[in-house]
Amino acid sequence: MSVTSHHSFCLSRIPFKIGQPKKQIVSKTVERDFEREYEKLQKLEDQTKKLHKDMKKSTDADLAMSKAAVKISADLLSNPLCEQDQAFLDSITALDTAMKRMDAFNQEKVNQIQKTVIDPLKKYSGVFPSLNMAVKRREQALQDYKRLQSKVEKYEEKEKNGPAMVKLHQAKEELRPVKEDFEAKNQQLLDEMPKFYQSRIDYFQPSFEALIRAQVVYFTEMYKIFSELTDQIDQGGLTDEQRQRETEAKLTELRALSIVADD
Amino acid sequence: CVCACLSSLTLSLVLLYKDNSLSGENTVSEEMLAEEARKKSKEEEAAAKERAAQRQQLAIEELVQSERNYLRMLQICSVDIRSSLQQLQPPLANLDRLFLYIEDVMEVSSRLLSLLDRRPSGEPQFLQTLCDSFLSLSSDIEAAYKEYLAYYNQISIVENSYKQKEALWNEIVRIIKASAPEVNASSLSFFLVMPVQRIARYPLLLQTIQKHTDTSHPAFKLLEKTALTSIALNCRINEYKRFREVADKYKKTETLTIKDKINRLNPHSIAKKTARFSQQLKHETGIKPKLVDEEFDAFEGFFNILEHGILVLLENVETYLLHLQRFLDCRTEEFDLDMDGEKSPICYKEITTALRQWILPTFEKRMRTLIHKPLCALRDLLVGPRNLIRKRLDKLLDFEMIESKSTLSYDEQAVANTYRTINTLLLNELPRFNGLALQMIWSMLGTFSCMHKDLAADMEQLFQSFAQQLPHSHLHPSAFWEWAESAVLESAKKLQTVCQNVEDTLNAPVVQPLSPSSQRRLKQLTDKHGSGKIYQVASTVVGSRDLDLNLARGELVAILSEADTRGDKRRWLVDAGGRRGYAPSSKLIRYHQAMEDPPPSPHLIVPLDVTGKRRHSYTPESQPMPMRVVRQPYFQVIAAYDFTARGNHEVSLRVGEPVCVLEPYDKRGNREWSLVEAISGQRGYVPSNYLSMKPVEARPPGFVF
Repeated sequence: MSVTSHHSFCLSRIPFKIGQPKKQIVSKTVERDFEREYEKLQKLEDQTKKLHKDMKKSTDADLAMSKAAVKISADLLSNPLCEQDQAFLDSITALDTAMKRMDAFNQEKVNQIQKTVIDPLKKYSGVFPSLNMAVKRREQALQDYKRLQSKVEKYEEKEKNGPAMVKLHQAKEELRPVKEDFEAKNQQLLDEMPKFYQSRIDYFQPSFEALIRAQVVYFTEMYKIFSELTDQIDQGGLTDEQRQRETEAKLTELRALSIVADD
Repeated sequence: CVCACLSSLTLSLVLLYKDNSLSGENTVSEEMLAEEARKKSKEEEAAAKERAAQRQQLAIEELVQSERNYLRMLQICSVDIRSSLQQLQPPLANLDRLFLYIEDVMEVSSRLLSLLDRRPSGEPQFLQTLCDSFLSLSSDIEAAYKEYLAYYNQISIVENSYKQKEALWNEIVRIIKASAPEVNASSLSFFLVMPVQRIARYPLLLQTIQKHTDTSHPAFKLLEKTALTSIALNCRINEYKRFREVADKYKKTETLTIKDKINRLNPHSIAKKTARFSQQLKHETGIKPKLVDEEFDAFEGFFNILEHGILVLLENVETYLLHLQRFLDCRTEEFDLDMDGEKSPICYKEITTALRQWILPTFEKRMRTLIHKPLCALRDLLVGPRNLIRKRLDKLLDFEMIESKSTLSYDEQAVANTYRTINTLLLNELPRFNGLALQMIWSMLGTFSCMHKDLAADMEQLFQSFAQQLPHSHLHPSAFWEWAESAVLESAKKLQTVCQNVEDTLNAPVVQPLSPSSQRRLKQLTDKHGSGKIYQVASTVVGSRDLDLNLARGELVAILSEADTRGDKRRWLVDAGGRRGYAPSSKLIRYHQAMEDPPPSPHLIVPLDVTGKRRHSYTPESQPMPMRVVRQPYFQVIAAYDFTARGNHEVSLRVGEPVCVLEPYDKRGNREWSLVEAISGQRGYVPSNYLSMKPVEARPPGFVF
């Protein structure tokens, strides 16, 4: 092995990165735009999932709360305690009726929210797996493109002899469909990602209005029902301090009893 | 010596290269990649910080700008509109009531703005200024807004009275529209409700700023404090409103009825009725003393039921509070769908923030202090009497044993006395206990109901300020739900289309380089059948009949026949690399090989100028690609290779260029040439075997790849 042949061997083979083409396939700005659009979509996916989860938990707790309220009055009503005094019984019955009615309204409210908010949220999240797959496919196509592009470049650098030309041609032919595939995917995603992102506004606008409306209806009913009930069973005109004072007075009286004191 | 140096140098270079070529090349590129990645992430961090700073700035601007607009609106209302209304004849009744407290609100708002205007809002220290200003004015804000909100009901009443007279109301609306043409207002409450809304907005505005502020920011703690103050303000203002309501409304005497009833509760008379329950409970506990003291049994029975009732009630109340806490924990207002410019999400966020951050917490606090805490205290007091009752029973059993005796020993006397003492004590005091406890429970019911009423009232007042902002709030309930549900259905359909399109394009055969086994299959099939017969499976085929094949998506097959033995053209006979059988033609797509050598141009048969670049191999079996119309109508004829026209009767094509075939033969009927029209409109002959067909996927509108 002569020195000369080593020398030329080395110099001609100081490598660029294998598999990375010299020619820039996707400009930096386009790539950055792509990434930024995709990031927005990823954040949208996360937030949609979070909102869906929180909504579900919230409505579950809401339903449970309403049922607990019904149980408060129902258990009191079924306790023989209330039969001791007609007025007392009337009060408890009225409370029980009110609670049951509120529970019915609550159930209706939750049903409406389920239909107009929770289900749509879930459906919206369902698009993202396909989108993510499409982005992955584009990435795969890009990698293939780069690989084949660098192969073509490699052949283009070599001496132009017969077999080399054939190889070059073959490499170009192999490159062509892959390049088209990538370009098509890339362009489509660049077009469609912002469109889909934008579509969230029209998609969710009815949901939010429905959420608000459902609550307006519910609390309007609550006000009607409990105004009436309060007039019927509450000692009117008491502030919280006054209520506390009255309660404390009763407790003091109780504590004054000898049977209560722990001996 | 030089030679030796050179050779050792190059030798080491060779070794270096060899090392690199095996794995080191990758290491070199890995290092560079890592360096690039680090740089990139630093850039991204900086960009993210920049974006957060921008959002923070926007949020701060929003607070200041909206305050300015708000004050301007109030001024238009209380100055322009008011003076126009004052000139109406006959004079409007109660006009002054509408503007009773608005001056104070406007004054505190303008003071806030003047404090904020001391510094330009773009300065970094502005956040500090904002927080300081708000905090310094917070007690004045509270003072002004609490009166306004407590009085707001009166404003609604007055406005409603005006609405009763149609002509008058029309005149008022005219004045409003004339005074504020740029605003879509059609009532006085449009303006007058603004303070109600404004005070509730501060928490959300401040929290939005907080969200985009880094914890390391010098003003962060101050901002936190300001946000919490704004919530506390709302709590206290609501409390005051309730206080005033109660004080104003309940001056009538008839509302003492319930109180009287509660106080008239007579445990003595009640107790008699409970005797049977007492027996029932005794049955359950297995206690049946021989000495039956009916009166005592009645009181004890009552006590048992009371105890049971209190324990169950306390448990239920605690369950209720547990779920309430769970509800408070799911902060559904904290989402960020980047929709902060849209009305309905913002309204939802404001309403939910108010509900979760002060309206419900106030409700919860009242629940605890007015119901849960007293109930716990009451439960604790049950212990004493319970123990005493048990003690009495023990003494009673002792007493029963000695009772029949005519003379009792000293000790026996003591036992008898103890029993009698406890018995008397309980007989005196147990009914008192029972009665008081029952009164307490009864009062709690009223409190519970009142709390719900107050909660609903707070929410209603909150909703009022949003009623006019939402596009569909004027719709009647049934109409609204119809609209909402159909909108949701529509959106679902659109989404379905999007999803379907994405799926379709993903399922389209991807033109990717083949795996080695596929390449082998390809070579095998091509050698055997020719490149014109190669097809690719578009989606998994599961054979159902005899001789049907199971094929995987992407598999390559060669077509043997385009119909089965019965002539069914939907079933093609294929060769799947050894296996032969039937496959549905709808799932097969022509596979174009990237590595096909260009077929011999007819030119070469005529030995004219042979241009340099093309080196064709003569492959005897390369056939002209047939231009039959394939099953799927989604093919387009394109040029498979570059072709340079050598005369006027030919046309040049670039590879990939779509063409329209006019005649698949030349003037002499030779099928080796075709007459085509290129994109440019030019017409001419090209070699037929330079044309191929490219699959074109059906493209529905929307998502297309």
